[in-house]
Amino acid sequence: MLICTSALTLLPFVFVLNSALRDNFEYNRTFFGAPESLTGLARVGWRYVTADARPLSIRTESGEVLAATRERAAAHYWAKLTAGSRRAWVVLRPYVLNSFVVSGLTALGVAALGSGTAYLLARYRFLGRNFIFGFILATMVFPGVLTLVPSFLLVKQLGLLNTYWAMVLPYVAGGQVFAIFVFRSFFSGLPEELFESARLDGAGHWGLYWNIVLPLSKPVFSVVIIMNILGTWNNFLWPFIVNTDDRHQVVASGLYTMARSGVALSSSTMYSAYVLSSIPLLLMFVYATKPFIRGMTSGAVKL
Amino acid sequence: MKPPDLSPSRLRFAASCHALLLPSVLLLLTFIYLPVVWAFLKSLYEFEVGSPARFVGFANYLEYLVNDPPTWPSVFNMFLLTAVGVFVRLSFPLIVAKLIHSLPYERTRYLYRIAFLVPIVVPGVAVQLLWSRMIYADYGLLNEFLRVVGMDGWTHSWLNDPQTALVALMCFGFPFAGGFEVLIYYAGLSAIPESVNEAAALEGCTGVSKFLRIDVPLVLSQLKLILVLTVIGGIQGFEGILVLTQGGPGFETMVPGLWMYYNAFSFQRMGYACAIGVLLFVAILGLTLLNLRYFRSAEEVQGGAT
Amino acid sequence: MSRPQFALMLRRLSLAAVLTVGVVVLWPERKAAVAGTEAKAQSGEYKYVLRMSVGQNYLPGSVPAGIGEPLQGVTQVVAAFEARYPDTKVEIVTVPIEREFLVTQLSGGAAPDIVSVNVEDVWVDAQKQWYVPLDRFLERPNPFVVAKGDPAAPGARQWWDMFTYQAITRGKAAPDGNNYCISLDMVETGIFYNRTFFAQHGLRPPESWGEFIALLRRVKELGRTPLLTNIDCLADWGTDLIFDQFYRELMPGLDLKKDDPVRAAYLQGYMDPEEISFLHRQGYFTRRDPRFVEVWRKLGELRPFLTKDINTQDLTREFVTQQAVMLWNGSWFVYRLAGDQQLGFDWGVFYLPPMLPADSPYASGLPMCVIGGVATQLEVTNSALSDTDPALPFAERIARSGRLRRAVELLQFMCLPENTGRIVNEYPALIPNIVGVPVHPQLDPFVEILKRRYTTTKWAYTFDLRFTDILKRILHLYLTGAIDLDEFMRWQEDNVTTATENFLQRTQTDLAPLQQEWDRLAPLRAGWRDVPPPPSR
Repeated sequence: MLICTSALTLLPFVFVLNSALRDNFEYNRTFFGAPESLTGLARVGWRYVTADARPLSIRTESGEVLAATRERAAAHYWAKLTAGSRRAWVVLRPYVLNSFVVSGLTALGVAALGSGTAYLLARYRFLGRNFIFGFILATMVFPGVLTLVPSFLLVKQLGLLNTYWAMVLPYVAGGQVFAIFVFRSFFSGLPEELFESARLDGAGHWGLYWNIVLPLSKPVFSVVIIMNILGTWNNFLWPFIVNTDDRHQVVASGLYTMARSGVALSSSTMYSAYVLSSIPLLLMFVYATKPFIRGMTSGAVKL
Repeated sequence: MKPPDLSPSRLRFAASCHALLLPSVLLLLTFIYLPVVWAFLKSLYEFEVGSPARFVGFANYLEYLVNDPPTWPSVFNMFLLTAVGVFVRLSFPLIVAKLIHSLPYERTRYLYRIAFLVPIVVPGVAVQLLWSRMIYADYGLLNEFLRVVGMDGWTHSWLNDPQTALVALMCFGFPFAGGFEVLIYYAGLSAIPESVNEAAALEGCTGVSKFLRIDVPLVLSQLKLILVLTVIGGIQGFEGILVLTQGGPGFETMVPGLWMYYNAFSFQRMGYACAIGVLLFVAILGLTLLNLRYFRSAEEVQGGAT
Repeated sequence: MSRPQFALMLRRLSLAAVLTVGVVVLWPERKAAVAGTEAKAQSGEYKYVLRMSVGQNYLPGSVPAGIGEPLQGVTQVVAAFEARYPDTKVEIVTVPIEREFLVTQLSGGAAPDIVSVNVEDVWVDAQKQWYVPLDRFLERPNPFVVAKGDPAAPGARQWWDMFTYQAITRGKAAPDGNNYCISLDMVETGIFYNRTFFAQHGLRPPESWGEFIALLRRVKELGRTPLLTNIDCLADWGTDLIFDQFYRELMPGLDLKKDDPVRAAYLQGYMDPEEISFLHRQGYFTRRDPRFVEVWRKLGELRPFLTKDINTQDLTREFVTQQAVMLWNGSWFVYRLAGDQQLGFDWGVFYLPPMLPADSPYASGLPMCVIGGVATQLEVTNSALSDTDPALPFAERIARSGRLRRAVELLQFMCLPENTGRIVNEYPALIPNIVGVPVHPQLDPFVEILKRRYTTTKWAYTFDLRFTDILKRILHLYLTGAIDLDEFMRWQEDNVTTATENFLQRTQTDLAPLQQEWDRLAPLRAGWRDVPPPPSR
């Protein structure tokens, strides 16, 4: 049952990967099927294994069928296999870099600002504390689309169009809310005794935060940062609007525009772009799953 | 409740705290509150980008609530889709999480967790295109399957047939297990103390009855989080519908958020779009307050129990 | 070393490797590129940095239909232009601009200097002074033609003369009489058919609407999908073609607005929104107008023969796999078919046949008109005026702006036959609109189609986008059988009424001259049958 479910869940992923390796004509005939480039390579490989040096027949892009040596055939199928990703990468490369900058800066900002604010709100009692917390939490209910146009005009007024800041600052502003929420519930749950003893040792406010809170909350940080990166990495509407030129376009908006341009007519390029754009996130998960899961289990992510 | 302490030292302390909170608050004020206020003001105008705005009072609200044909069907769709979304996001991932959690080996558990996370990294647009072109298309998987088993009469152009479009949208994403929910529930299940499990086992409480009577109540706080997020997302969200059906055929799968998007960016009726947005905001606010009230009491109940 | 330690080390090593690979793959080239352009722009080496969006068809770097090498025609032409004007840098915006987002950018003066959108969309926004009228430039010589020294060459006297399809090009003038777009190419639609299948079953292209329907029925009986098309085509092309069949004959009695002579000479009484609005108030284009109802009834006759999924953007598959036999598409589809080496069947193109009196009581029997025309439409936006004081009157800004002049020069340069040829003929999809540029032989059928008369009106571009959106939605419901003709007509009448009232209120149009003309033309309408009764007020 679990196998079935995970197979169904993974199906889109497999499909995208498979389509990335098939050229436009294959894709146009059947939606699913073994990529010709792979079967071709397998044929060539088999010839090598069996030390069979007879020529193979291949079909060139212009439609001719000709006999080719093993080397030629291998090169042909290899080119076919990588055509999509080579073309996609040319377009995607600057976008990926921009995404790294935007998502990285945002995650840093959100983690720093969110944890600091949440620490104050969680561990100190002062006048207006509840008001401020309410003020922050209330923003969770504002529909994003409602503020799309005014936000655009605002960013333009601030002269931030076509800069990284046009994305980073609003992302930090919006993203910190969830971070504050999670951090606060985690920090509130830390036992008071820890702080008492540290205070007795002469630790100041900053020392408490730096030496007691931070080391304890690594898993929560990883949760906040990963959730945040996922959100910013996949957001396409906002970057698309505030980037009127190409220079700061990020992956998500780049993909969105690619899908609507002539590039989309070539399925392998488009699907390769999807695959390539997922690799950074995939790697992030491979390496960060453990702390992420520990953070999730710490009990901070709940209501 | 004691009155607030207004001594100078407390005030000074509060002031320094507020000073430290200033960056957070300033960012929120500029990038969230300011646009919201602006949007609210603009909802009272007939306003097309690039043309002078004309004050019309509450005419935009009136038009939306009384005169615009898509309004009520779309509100109905929104609630239906949200309700279905809540149901599937509370049930399917939890069952999957439970299944993974009861696997004997840590290594296989880890592999499955990764397997269910992988779909997150596939861009949403790709998944939506996949569904519309591969699964729901005329010659898509679903129809081919029906033809193979000889049920040709049941084939539909799922997203384009007015009878099936809404249902097709509800089933989009089946089996609804690719994502965070699984991990969040898994975390909740892992947090159940071993003693509870042992006690349950001793009392002969296993299988489905243990799942319903022990596990579900103990992951309640995770369930609530997903509930709130799904409700907010259900009312606000429209990107998926935009890609899959554009709210069509006709207005069969229209939701208010999407209609607002069309009015703002396609029809250039900014004031009108803002009015729809304000109404959505009111709806979300109401539902969330309702949720929070319920949660407050639930937390107190929990607090009282320990 | 214990196993867990080893695993941990492996993990860290692989992470380091992944990070290194990432940095290597991403880093150097990008840095060089950015540093290059920005340094130049900042040091003021360029006086003008123009930004241009050339539209989907010529997007540099894209590979249309996944066939051949990435496009670079525009890049080459732009490089030649930059070589001529060292103080100018042209950045090509390689993302297609959608109107939704263009609007936000135009309102903020952040749009590219040259954009490519349907000029009918421009008309709607013309009074906001977002776009620059180009007539004053079009009426003067093209400096690049002059520089070549042949005084008889098209363009040496006025830029206008360079365009092959004068009627269609000039017909793109806005209702205010101004021209806002330059068009390098033409597109026309046609019905692509599987000639091999036709030959096998003794079928031939139809001569009349009745034959067309019979043909579709026959193909359906043979177990194939007869006609592939989508709701966008039907709402746009289908509506206008059939509308033209029923109303063209009436035009002498209905054409109420005297266009400026140039536009009138080419457009032959094209119906503008104010004319439609006025006529709608007289009862036309309502449920009581039998011809208007007939338009939709005839369109509805296609219903059983369409694909189930008429919302699809992906028409190709069923045609190339021979599940479908006919496909209604633009000339760009030629390239897709011609480039497919594994097609395995022969294909041809025919145009929609006329409706004869036997097909409909209101049929005029005239040949079907064309609805395509200009494909890539390049407009100059307010961004090109950014070197002038916004407080000045618009005309003054246009007269003073050096940046605008440079942007126009870029367009004039692109119109040189060798440059247009390089851009448009890079692959066979569209028909060049510049005199002296050869047409790709595969596009010949479309050159024939283009010789036809232009449509009476374009409904999908007449009113605001809300009108068009709702039209598409209800037509979708109608064509999937979810609503019947009566209900469709109720919606449609409401839709036209709302759109006309909005239009009249927004533009503050004075209908009095139309009323006078209406009264003057009354004798011409005297003998007409089945006209809508005048509204009771």
